[in-house]
Amino acid sequence: MIHRGHHLHDDRLFDSYLAERRGETIDPPTAEHLADCHPCAGRYAEMVRLLEDVRAEGEAEADAIFTPERLRAQQREIARRLEAVARPARVISFPGQMGRQSTATSSSRGAPRWAAAAAAAGLFIGIALGATYEWESHGRLAERMTARDTSAVRDGRLSAVSTRGSSPADVAADDAFLSELEVALDRPRTRELMAFDALTPHVREVSQR
Amino acid sequence: MSDVRTAHDGDAVPGVQTAAAARRAVPTPVSDDSRLAIEIRGLVDRGAMDEARERFGELVALHQKRATRIAYQYLRDAAEADEAVQDAFVKVFSHISAYREAWPFEVWFTRILINGCLDRRKARARRDRWFVGGEISGADELRASAGTADADPERRLLAQERRARVAAAVDRLEGRQRTVFMLCHFGDCTPREVSFMTGLNESTVRVHLFRAARKLRGLLGGKP
Repeated sequence: MIHRGHHLHDDRLFDSYLAERRGETIDPPTAEHLADCHPCAGRYAEMVRLLEDVRAEGEAEADAIFTPERLRAQQREIARRLEAVARPARVISFPGQMGRQSTATSSSRGAPRWAAAAAAAGLFIGIALGATYEWESHGRLAERMTARDTSAVRDGRLSAVSTRGSSPADVAADDAFLSELEVALDRPRTRELMAFDALTPHVREVSQR
Repeated sequence: MSDVRTAHDGDAVPGVQTAAAARRAVPTPVSDDSRLAIEIRGLVDRGAMDEARERFGELVALHQKRATRIAYQYLRDAAEADEAVQDAFVKVFSHISAYREAWPFEVWFTRILINGCLDRRKARARRDRWFVGGEISGADELRASAGTADADPERRLLAQERRARVAAAVDRLEGRQRTVFMLCHFGDCTPREVSFMTGLNESTVRVHLFRAARKLRGLLGGKP
């Protein structure tokens, strides 16, 4: 028995809705209360309307997209896919011509063995000759170089390598450039610190004074 | 069988269907579709594949409409829903030997379908992290609006807006609530069946349903 003073909780209303949808009878005390209490009956009616509308809208939307025609096409597609189910996988054989070729090759493998041996021998001889020629020409070149160096030393024809910019003025300019570079590298590169750096005296400036 | 599992997802129903859940299944008289499924299983076991395929066509016809409604509500994309339904049927046929009478065929099939939909949603979420997210395609909207019986363009537009609002509200439900609500409302499942499908306690299913309804009421302002 549900007193008139206590209204039905939402979950009771929802249970009643589910029972009604399944075609079952609503819990008798709840049904009795709904019959007597107008606010609860109103809430119940509103809940049923909302849920039924949501359901109807959803179904209508899906049904509009999945027309009977489309469903038939879907059935056909399912049937087509089912055809492939439980069929043993086909083993694709190699093309016949290639198979025959390979068989022919394998049966006559013994015949051109002398050709392979000749090719190997030719390759070996070629490499050996090439190596010999390389070795000899390298030896000759080395001999020639040694002979030239010896004669040059004997003649005293060694010359000094000339360097540019070795005058006192050049040295000073180089020093200035390097010190500028040093200063640039010492300076902080962070923009926020540059102002502090400009206000702060550097060790180099102090020592110069 | 990988897909005879509980609906699972980060935002959906966790857990694996266990013996305990199977025990919760109340022995109900075998329905027509379940009987048909048992028959198909026998045919497959005997190797009569052609006949099995033919009989399976009847099962497809029985569940196709309901399946497309569920899949579409879940995925909100006609092409994807179409594929999900096809996949579910093909999967069911391939694994029909695993079907047991203890589970009503409808429940078994719906679970496979929902798992497929959840996997697709997950894949879509992954895709959307890298590419622009795919909302309801314009073609779908057009078809949905064209399908409205009302010839008045204004009313049609209003109906379309109403549907969009409802769809957006359902989509805003938390994962479990959405699954339970959809199965119950669009899949015509009872809380007991939903409990069996999801592995959730029946009272938990009721709580989710109730919360979903309350949230929808809040989102839709009392009426859709």
